[in-house]
Amino acid sequence: MRDDTIRVGGLLLALVYAAFIGWTYARQPQTVAQVTGGLTATIGAYRVDRQAFDDGLAFFRKDQFVEARAAFARADPAERDAVTQFYVAYSYYRQGWGRLYSDDALFGEGLKAVDRAIALAPGGRLVVDDPDLKMRSADELRAELQRGLERDASDFNPLRVLRERK
Amino acid sequence: MTRGAVTREAVVLPLIFLTATLLGGLDPGARQPWAAPSLFSLCLAMLLIAVLVRGGALVGERLLHGARGTLANANGFVVLLSLFAASAQVLHMLMPRSGLPALIVGTVLLVLLVNTLAVSPDRPRLLRSLAVVFGSAFLLKFVVLAALADPDGGRTKRVLVALFDLATLGTITQHPLHPAAGYVAFFVILLYLAGIALLPSRPPRRELAAAGGRSLTVTTERENGRPW
Repeated sequence: MRDDTIRVGGLLLALVYAAFIGWTYARQPQTVAQVTGGLTATIGAYRVDRQAFDDGLAFFRKDQFVEARAAFARADPAERDAVTQFYVAYSYYRQGWGRLYSDDALFGEGLKAVDRAIALAPGGRLVVDDPDLKMRSADELRAELQRGLERDASDFNPLRVLRERK
Repeated sequence: MTRGAVTREAVVLPLIFLTATLLGGLDPGARQPWAAPSLFSLCLAMLLIAVLVRGGALVGERLLHGARGTLANANGFVVLLSLFAASAQVLHMLMPRSGLPALIVGTVLLVLLVNTLAVSPDRPRLLRSLAVVFGSAFLLKFVVLAALADPDGGRTKRVLVALFDLATLGTITQHPLHPAAGYVAFFVILLYLAGIALLPSRPPRRELAAAGGRSLTVTTERENGRPW
């Protein structure tokens, strides 16, 4: 092998490695699955596990939210799919929703998931065409989760017991 | 240049330093697990590179020089850049994150580097000195301070740690470290020191004296057709 070939190869290798380091520090992946998923998504090769997604959806419709999130996590281990993250956020919303009060911890997780979904959606716009949902856009879901986390005078309105879960 | 030297400069050194850069910022278990170096670490890294140059562990002309080809200079530039990034990350990794230990370790590292720069030791002594400095900082952060911050342990230990925390007004205790953090740091330090040892260095003073300094350089130039 000629010296120039080694030099060019080394230069390219270093550039690719440096780009990977920059990506890692910018995206802050926390698991190996997030690293591999993020890299495959960068080149457009990331795919959601359809079977696991369908399982998650089935659990979600039966109000089995913990099981649904486990299936969604299998379907989208790198958290790179906007629709799956939307359903994850929705599962937190439905599980945390209460007639008298909402669960702040679950709503907080839901807010993180919907923010991920919005960040992943092209142009930040995400609309899910699912007749089972009363909120079909990520913006509506985000606003609802945000409202659930806020404390104001309307929290003491007795008519709150009449509201419905979306 | 031999084939081995080209491979070392173009492939091995960048890979070593980039790996140290990547893993040096890893804080396992944290919400943001990849931490960029602080400004102070960048300043210390500049100082460390100056120390390496002064001590002969790094000869800049053997990486960047007008007599070298464009490609060779590009490789040399990558080595220097990755060395700087790795130095900043390793120093950042070795410094405690908060409180009095962060201040003390930062100051001590600064003083030690300035002192080494002033003393200007030869390459073997410099490498030994760096190994001792990094090893001591590693022991302080990942063994001593980590043990004080460890939330596990018996009641006696927790009482002693609470009393210690009270006596020092909470300025010593750090956030608990992930069990893997120490192992990662140990590997990064070894990798970094190996990279430093592999850098193109100045021949030892004994050899220079024996060969008459300039004549050694001339011989090398004649052998290879161009400097190094």
